[in-house]
Amino acid sequence: MSKLKLASYWAAACGGCDVATLDIHEKIVDVAAVADIVFWPIAVDFKYADVEGYEDGFIDVCLFHGAIRNSEGEHIAKLLRKKSKVMVAFGSCAISGGIPGLANFKQKDDIFYRVYIESQSTQNPQKVYPQTHYAVPEGVLDLPEFYKDVKSLSDVVDVDYYMPGCPPTSAQIWAVIGVIASGALPPKGAFVGCENQTLCNTCTRAKTDKKVKKFYQPYQIITDPEKCLLEQGLTCMGPVTRAGCSNQCISANHPCTGCYGPVEGVIDQGAKYISALASVVDADSPDEADRIISEIADPAGLFYRYGLPGSLLRRAK
Amino acid sequence: MAKTKFEPKIIGFLCNWCSYGGADLAGVSRLQYPPNVRIIRLMCSGRVDPQFVFKALSDGADGVLVAG
Repeated sequence: MSKLKLASYWAAACGGCDVATLDIHEKIVDVAAVADIVFWPIAVDFKYADVEGYEDGFIDVCLFHGAIRNSEGEHIAKLLRKKSKVMVAFGSCAISGGIPGLANFKQKDDIFYRVYIESQSTQNPQKVYPQTHYAVPEGVLDLPEFYKDVKSLSDVVDVDYYMPGCPPTSAQIWAVIGVIASGALPPKGAFVGCENQTLCNTCTRAKTDKKVKKFYQPYQIITDPEKCLLEQGLTCMGPVTRAGCSNQCISANHPCTGCYGPVEGVIDQGAKYISALASVVDADSPDEADRIISEIADPAGLFYRYGLPGSLLRRAK
Repeated sequence: MAKTKFEPKIIGFLCNWCSYGGADLAGVSRLQYPPNVRIIRLMCSGRVDPQFVFKALSDGADGVLVAG
Protein backbone atom coordinates (compact mmCIF):
# COMPACT_ATOMS: atom_id res chain seq x y z
CA MET A 1 0.00 0.00 0.00
CA SER A 2 1.31 3.42 -0.87
CA LYS A 3 1.77 5.92 1.92
CA LEU A 4 -1.13 8.09 3.00
CA LYS A 5 -0.94 11.66 1.69
CA LEU A 6 -1.76 14.09 4.47
CA ALA A 7 -2.33 17.83 4.25
CA SER A 8 -3.08 20.43 6.88
CA TYR A 9 -3.96 24.10 6.57
CA TRP A 10 -4.79 27.01 8.82
CA ALA A 11 -7.27 29.66 7.75
CA ALA A 12 -8.55 32.03 10.47
CA ALA A 13 -6.96 30.22 13.40
CA CYS A 14 -4.45 30.90 16.13
CA GLY A 15 -2.14 27.99 15.35
CA GLY A 16 -3.17 26.12 18.48
CA CYS A 17 -4.45 23.20 16.40
CA ASP A 18 -1.03 22.91 14.77
CA VAL A 19 0.64 23.03 18.18
CA ALA A 20 -1.72 20.34 19.47
CA THR A 21 -0.81 18.20 16.46
CA LEU A 22 2.90 18.69 17.15
CA ASP A 23 2.22 17.87 20.80
CA ILE A 24 1.92 14.21 19.86
CA HIS A 25 5.71 14.56 20.24
CA GLU A 26 7.84 11.65 19.01
CA LYS A 27 4.76 9.96 17.56
CA ILE A 28 5.05 12.47 14.72
CA VAL A 29 7.84 10.16 13.51
CA ASP A 30 5.29 7.32 13.43
CA VAL A 31 2.98 9.57 11.42
CA ALA A 32 5.82 10.13 8.97
CA ALA A 33 6.17 6.34 8.70
CA VAL A 34 2.59 5.88 7.48
CA ALA A 35 1.96 9.22 5.81
CA ASP A 36 3.63 11.71 3.51
CA ILE A 37 2.89 15.27 4.51
CA VAL A 38 2.19 17.06 1.23
CA PHE A 39 1.11 20.46 2.59
CA TRP A 40 1.36 21.94 6.08
CA PRO A 41 2.30 25.62 6.17
CA ILE A 42 3.44 25.70 9.80
CA ALA A 43 5.79 22.73 9.55
CA VAL A 44 6.85 21.99 5.97
CA ASP A 45 7.75 24.19 3.04
CA PHE A 46 5.15 23.55 0.37
CA LYS A 47 3.60 26.48 -1.47
CA TYR A 48 0.10 27.09 -2.78
CA ALA A 49 1.51 26.47 -6.28
CA ASP A 50 2.55 22.95 -5.23
CA VAL A 51 -1.02 22.20 -4.15
CA GLU A 52 -2.37 23.66 -7.39
CA GLY A 53 -0.06 21.28 -9.24
CA TYR A 54 -1.47 18.16 -7.55
CA GLU A 55 -4.06 16.09 -9.39
CA ASP A 56 -7.63 16.26 -8.08
CA GLY A 57 -8.06 13.79 -5.21
CA PHE A 58 -4.27 13.47 -4.81
CA ILE A 59 -4.40 14.24 -1.07
CA ASP A 60 -5.97 11.42 0.98
CA VAL A 61 -6.84 13.45 4.08
CA CYS A 62 -6.85 17.19 4.67
CA LEU A 63 -7.03 18.43 8.26
CA PHE A 64 -8.41 21.96 7.89
CA HIS A 65 -8.04 24.31 10.85
CA GLY A 66 -9.57 27.73 11.18
CA ALA A 67 -12.66 29.65 10.22
CA ILE A 68 -13.24 31.35 6.87
CA ARG A 69 -12.56 35.01 7.49
CA ASN A 70 -11.45 36.25 4.07
CA SER A 71 -11.32 35.34 0.39
CA GLU A 72 -7.92 33.66 0.76
CA GLY A 73 -9.31 31.21 3.33
CA GLU A 74 -12.24 30.39 1.05
CA HIS A 75 -10.00 30.02 -2.00
CA ILE A 76 -7.63 27.60 -0.26
CA ALA A 77 -10.54 25.67 1.30
CA LYS A 78 -12.03 25.15 -2.17
CA LEU A 79 -8.63 24.24 -3.63
CA LEU A 80 -7.92 21.71 -0.87
CA ARG A 81 -11.43 20.28 -1.17
CA LYS A 82 -10.80 19.61 -4.87
CA LYS A 83 -7.43 18.01 -4.21
CA SER A 84 -8.49 15.93 -1.17
CA LYS A 85 -10.44 12.70 -0.91
CA VAL A 86 -11.36 13.37 2.72
CA MET A 87 -11.86 16.81 4.25
CA VAL A 88 -11.80 17.10 8.04
CA ALA A 89 -13.03 20.26 9.77
CA PHE A 90 -10.42 20.25 12.52
CA GLY A 91 -11.05 22.25 15.69
CA SER A 92 -13.81 24.62 16.79
CA CYS A 93 -12.97 27.36 14.27
CA ALA A 94 -13.36 25.11 11.22
CA ILE A 95 -16.50 23.49 12.64
CA SER A 96 -18.44 26.48 13.87
CA GLY A 97 -16.30 29.62 13.59
CA GLY A 98 -14.53 29.36 16.95
CA ILE A 99 -13.07 32.38 18.72
CA PRO A 100 -12.64 34.37 15.45
CA GLY A 101 -16.37 33.83 14.95
CA LEU A 102 -17.10 36.15 17.90
CA ALA A 103 -16.34 38.96 15.43
CA ASN A 104 -19.84 38.36 14.05
CA PHE A 105 -21.12 40.30 17.05
CA LYS A 106 -19.53 43.35 15.36
CA GLN A 107 -19.82 44.90 11.93
CA LYS A 108 -16.90 44.86 9.49
CA ASP A 109 -16.65 48.68 9.62
CA ASP A 110 -16.39 48.62 13.43
CA ILE A 111 -13.63 46.00 13.27
CA PHE A 112 -11.63 48.00 10.70
CA TYR A 113 -12.05 51.20 12.68
CA ARG A 114 -10.86 49.50 15.86
CA VAL A 115 -7.88 47.81 14.23
CA TYR A 116 -6.67 50.47 11.80
CA ILE A 117 -7.66 53.72 13.53
CA GLU A 118 -8.60 53.45 17.18
CA SER A 119 -6.36 50.88 18.82
CA GLN A 120 -3.72 52.32 21.16
CA SER A 121 -0.80 50.85 19.23
CA THR A 122 -1.92 52.33 15.89
CA GLN A 123 -0.69 55.56 14.29
CA ASN A 124 -2.66 56.17 11.13
CA PRO A 125 -3.31 59.94 10.78
CA GLN A 126 -4.24 59.59 7.10
CA LYS A 127 -6.82 56.97 7.99
CA VAL A 128 -5.55 54.46 5.47
CA TYR A 129 -7.52 51.24 5.27
CA PRO A 130 -6.31 48.10 3.50
CA GLN A 131 -7.56 47.78 -0.08
CA THR A 132 -8.03 44.57 -2.02
CA HIS A 133 -6.25 46.07 -5.05
CA TYR A 134 -3.63 48.80 -5.17
CA ALA A 135 -1.77 50.00 -8.22
CA VAL A 136 1.96 50.71 -7.85
CA PRO A 137 4.43 51.41 -10.69
CA GLU A 138 5.51 47.77 -10.62
CA GLY A 139 1.96 46.48 -11.08
CA VAL A 140 -1.17 45.81 -9.04
CA LEU A 141 -0.90 44.50 -5.50
CA ASP A 142 -3.68 42.29 -4.20
CA LEU A 143 -4.85 41.55 -0.68
CA PRO A 144 -7.55 39.04 0.25
CA GLU A 145 -11.00 40.50 0.81
CA PHE A 146 -12.06 40.65 4.47
CA TYR A 147 -15.58 39.23 4.60
CA LYS A 148 -18.53 40.81 6.35
CA ASP A 149 -19.07 37.63 8.38
CA VAL A 150 -16.89 34.84 9.70
CA LYS A 151 -17.99 31.51 8.23
CA SER A 152 -17.40 27.92 9.17
CA LEU A 153 -15.65 25.52 6.78
CA SER A 154 -18.89 23.74 5.92
CA ASP A 155 -20.37 27.10 4.84
CA VAL A 156 -17.98 27.12 1.86
CA VAL A 157 -17.11 23.47 1.07
CA ASP A 158 -18.42 19.95 1.60
CA VAL A 159 -16.97 18.51 4.82
CA ASP A 160 -16.56 14.76 5.49
CA TYR A 161 -15.68 14.69 9.20
CA TYR A 162 -15.70 17.02 12.15
CA MET A 163 -13.09 16.93 14.89
CA PRO A 164 -14.06 19.25 17.75
CA GLY A 165 -11.92 21.01 20.33
CA CYS A 166 -10.05 24.23 20.90
CA PRO A 167 -7.73 22.61 20.20
CA PRO A 168 -8.55 18.90 19.87
CA THR A 169 -6.44 17.05 22.43
CA SER A 170 -3.22 15.47 21.22
CA ALA A 171 -4.36 12.02 22.37
CA GLN A 172 -7.51 12.34 20.24
CA ILE A 173 -5.51 13.60 17.26
CA TRP A 174 -3.23 10.58 17.52
CA ALA A 175 -6.22 8.23 17.80
CA VAL A 176 -7.91 9.78 14.77
CA ILE A 177 -4.74 9.60 12.66
CA GLY A 178 -4.59 5.91 13.63
CA VAL A 179 -8.15 5.34 12.42
CA ILE A 180 -7.45 7.19 9.17
CA ALA A 181 -4.26 5.18 8.59
CA SER A 182 -6.16 1.91 9.20
CA GLY A 183 -8.61 2.88 6.44
CA ALA A 184 -11.64 2.06 8.62
CA LEU A 185 -13.33 5.41 8.04
CA PRO A 186 -16.54 6.28 9.90
CA PRO A 187 -19.70 7.31 7.99
CA LYS A 188 -19.59 10.71 6.31
CA GLY A 189 -20.55 13.62 8.52
CA ALA A 190 -19.39 11.89 11.72
CA PHE A 191 -17.82 13.72 14.63
CA VAL A 192 -14.50 12.04 15.35
CA GLY A 193 -12.08 12.24 18.27
CA CYS A 194 -14.84 12.82 20.80
CA GLU A 195 -17.76 11.17 22.57
CA ASN A 196 -21.47 11.52 22.04
CA GLN A 197 -22.38 12.48 25.58
CA THR A 198 -22.02 15.62 27.62
CA LEU A 199 -18.99 16.52 29.66
CA CYS A 200 -21.31 16.63 32.69
CA ASN A 201 -22.04 12.95 32.15
CA THR A 202 -18.34 12.08 32.44
CA CYS A 203 -17.57 14.47 35.32
CA THR A 204 -16.67 12.81 38.62
CA ARG A 205 -17.37 15.80 40.86
CA ALA A 206 -20.14 15.37 43.42
CA LYS A 207 -23.44 16.70 42.14
CA THR A 208 -26.21 17.36 44.62
CA ASP A 209 -28.90 20.00 44.38
CA LYS A 210 -28.18 22.72 41.86
CA LYS A 211 -29.34 25.94 43.46
CA VAL A 212 -27.35 28.98 42.48
CA LYS A 213 -27.83 32.24 44.37
CA LYS A 214 -24.80 34.01 42.88
CA PHE A 215 -22.61 33.55 39.82
CA TYR A 216 -18.87 34.05 40.04
CA GLN A 217 -15.99 34.39 37.64
CA PRO A 218 -13.13 31.96 38.28
CA TYR A 219 -10.88 34.60 39.87
CA GLN A 220 -13.54 35.56 42.39
CA ILE A 221 -13.81 32.25 44.20
CA ILE A 222 -11.70 29.40 45.52
CA THR A 223 -13.60 26.31 44.49
CA ASP A 224 -14.06 22.98 46.23
CA PRO A 225 -12.28 20.48 43.92
CA GLU A 226 -14.76 17.70 44.81
CA LYS A 227 -17.97 19.60 44.10
CA CYS A 228 -19.79 20.42 40.87
CA LEU A 229 -18.50 23.79 39.58
CA LEU A 230 -21.93 24.93 38.43
CA GLU A 231 -23.33 24.33 41.92
CA GLN A 232 -20.56 26.57 43.23
CA GLY A 233 -21.72 29.38 40.96
CA LEU A 234 -19.23 29.05 38.12
CA THR A 235 -20.74 29.08 34.64
CA CYS A 236 -19.48 25.64 33.66
CA MET A 237 -20.63 24.71 30.13
CA GLY A 238 -20.37 20.99 30.95
CA PRO A 239 -24.12 20.33 30.72
CA VAL A 240 -24.23 21.39 27.06
CA THR A 241 -20.75 20.43 25.83
CA ARG A 242 -19.56 17.29 24.13
CA ALA A 243 -17.15 15.09 26.09
CA GLY A 244 -13.85 13.83 24.71
CA CYS A 245 -11.33 16.34 26.05
CA SER A 246 -10.23 14.14 28.99
CA ASN A 247 -11.91 16.75 31.22
CA GLN A 248 -8.76 18.85 31.27
CA CYS A 249 -10.22 22.18 32.36
CA ILE A 250 -12.58 20.91 35.05
CA SER A 251 -9.78 18.70 36.42
CA ALA A 252 -7.79 21.90 36.89
CA ASN A 253 -10.73 23.59 38.70
CA HIS A 254 -11.57 25.72 35.69
CA PRO A 255 -15.16 25.62 34.44
CA CYS A 256 -15.73 24.14 31.00
CA THR A 257 -15.89 26.88 28.34
CA GLY A 258 -17.62 24.67 25.80
CA CYS A 259 -14.92 24.19 23.15
CA TYR A 260 -16.02 20.68 22.10
CA GLY A 261 -19.33 22.17 20.99
CA PRO A 262 -22.86 20.87 21.38
CA VAL A 263 -23.74 17.19 21.41
CA GLU A 264 -25.53 15.54 18.52
CA GLY A 265 -29.07 16.80 17.98
CA VAL A 266 -28.41 20.23 19.51
CA ILE A 267 -28.14 23.03 16.99
CA ASP A 268 -27.54 25.92 19.36
CA GLN A 269 -25.23 25.37 22.30
CA GLY A 270 -25.90 28.83 23.75
CA ALA A 271 -29.68 28.39 23.72
CA LYS A 272 -29.27 25.04 25.45
CA TYR A 273 -27.11 26.64 28.09
CA ILE A 274 -29.69 29.37 28.71
CA SER A 275 -32.10 26.52 29.39
CA ALA A 276 -29.61 24.81 31.72
CA LEU A 277 -28.89 28.02 33.64
CA ALA A 278 -32.57 28.85 33.98
CA SER A 279 -33.09 25.56 35.77
CA VAL A 280 -30.39 26.18 38.40
CA VAL A 281 -31.07 29.80 39.33
CA ASP A 282 -32.58 29.79 42.81
CA ALA A 283 -34.66 32.95 42.92
CA ASP A 284 -37.73 33.71 45.02
CA SER A 285 -38.79 36.74 42.98
CA PRO A 286 -38.38 38.10 39.45
CA ASP A 287 -36.11 40.84 40.85
CA GLU A 288 -33.84 38.31 42.48
CA ALA A 289 -33.72 36.28 39.26
CA ASP A 290 -32.72 39.45 37.37
CA ARG A 291 -29.97 40.18 39.88
CA ILE A 292 -28.54 36.66 39.72
CA ILE A 293 -28.62 36.52 35.91
CA SER A 294 -27.08 39.99 35.59
CA GLU A 295 -24.00 38.74 37.44
CA ILE A 296 -23.04 36.53 34.49
CA ALA A 297 -20.17 38.33 32.80
CA ASP A 298 -20.45 38.68 29.00
CA PRO A 299 -23.22 36.12 28.52
CA ALA A 300 -23.20 36.27 24.70
CA GLY A 301 -19.44 35.76 24.56
CA LEU A 302 -19.67 32.99 27.12
CA PHE A 303 -22.54 31.02 25.56
CA TYR A 304 -21.22 31.36 21.98
CA ARG A 305 -17.49 31.46 22.62
CA TYR A 306 -16.70 28.78 20.05
CA GLY A 307 -19.72 28.66 17.81
CA LEU A 308 -21.40 31.96 16.96
CA PRO A 309 -21.28 31.53 13.13
CA GLY A 310 -22.64 28.00 13.46
CA SER A 311 -25.43 28.98 15.86
CA LEU A 312 -29.01 30.12 15.26
CA LEU A 313 -28.13 33.73 16.07
CA ARG A 314 -28.06 35.93 13.01
CA ARG A 315 -27.12 39.50 12.42
CA ALA A 316 -29.90 42.07 12.45
CA LYS A 317 -30.85 42.71 8.84
CA MET B 1 -48.41 47.94 -5.36
CA ALA B 2 -50.94 48.99 -2.80
CA LYS B 3 -49.61 49.36 0.70
CA THR B 4 -50.62 46.41 2.82
CA LYS B 5 -51.03 46.60 6.55
CA PHE B 6 -48.27 44.84 8.48
CA GLU B 7 -49.61 41.57 9.80
CA PRO B 8 -47.15 39.94 12.17
CA LYS B 9 -46.63 36.21 12.14
CA ILE B 10 -46.51 35.00 15.72
CA ILE B 11 -45.61 31.46 16.70
CA GLY B 12 -47.51 30.40 19.81
CA PHE B 13 -46.22 27.57 21.95
CA LEU B 14 -49.25 26.60 24.01
CA CYS B 15 -49.67 24.16 26.86
CA ASN B 16 -52.11 21.35 26.11
CA TRP B 17 -53.90 21.69 29.45
CA CYS B 18 -54.61 25.39 29.67
CA SER B 19 -53.80 27.84 26.88
CA TYR B 20 -54.23 25.28 24.10
CA GLY B 21 -57.46 24.19 25.77
CA GLY B 22 -58.47 27.87 25.80
CA ALA B 23 -57.70 28.29 22.12
CA ASP B 24 -59.66 25.14 21.40
CA LEU B 25 -62.60 26.40 23.43
CA ALA B 26 -62.48 29.70 21.52
CA GLY B 27 -62.80 27.61 18.38
CA VAL B 28 -65.80 25.55 19.48
CA SER B 29 -67.44 28.68 20.91
CA ARG B 30 -66.98 30.32 17.49
CA LEU B 31 -65.16 33.29 18.98
CA GLN B 32 -63.36 35.28 16.29
CA TYR B 33 -59.69 36.05 16.78
CA PRO B 34 -56.99 37.27 14.39
CA PRO B 35 -55.14 34.57 12.46
CA ASN B 36 -51.69 36.00 13.26
CA VAL B 37 -50.87 33.42 15.89
CA ARG B 38 -49.76 30.06 14.52
CA ILE B 39 -50.20 27.60 17.34
CA ILE B 40 -47.90 24.72 18.23
CA ARG B 41 -49.33 22.49 20.92
CA LEU B 42 -47.01 21.25 23.64
CA MET B 43 -47.85 18.92 26.49
CA CYS B 44 -46.41 21.53 28.86
CA SER B 45 -44.95 25.00 28.37
CA GLY B 46 -41.96 23.65 30.31
CA ARG B 47 -41.14 21.80 27.10
CA VAL B 48 -40.19 25.09 25.42
CA ASP B 49 -36.50 25.13 24.69
CA PRO B 50 -34.81 28.47 23.94
CA GLN B 51 -33.74 26.84 20.67
CA PHE B 52 -37.42 26.75 19.58
CA VAL B 53 -37.69 30.49 20.11
CA PHE B 54 -34.44 31.24 18.25
CA LYS B 55 -35.43 28.93 15.41
CA ALA B 56 -38.87 30.53 15.05
CA LEU B 57 -37.39 34.03 14.95
CA SER B 58 -34.53 33.10 12.59
CA ASP B 59 -36.97 31.40 10.22
CA GLY B 60 -38.99 34.60 9.90
CA ALA B 61 -41.49 34.77 12.75
CA ASP B 62 -42.12 38.31 13.98
CA GLY B 63 -42.86 37.20 17.49
CA VAL B 64 -43.11 34.21 19.77
CA LEU B 65 -45.81 33.63 22.36
CA VAL B 66 -45.33 31.11 25.13
CA ALA B 67 -48.46 30.47 27.13
CA GLY B 68 -49.10 27.95 29.84
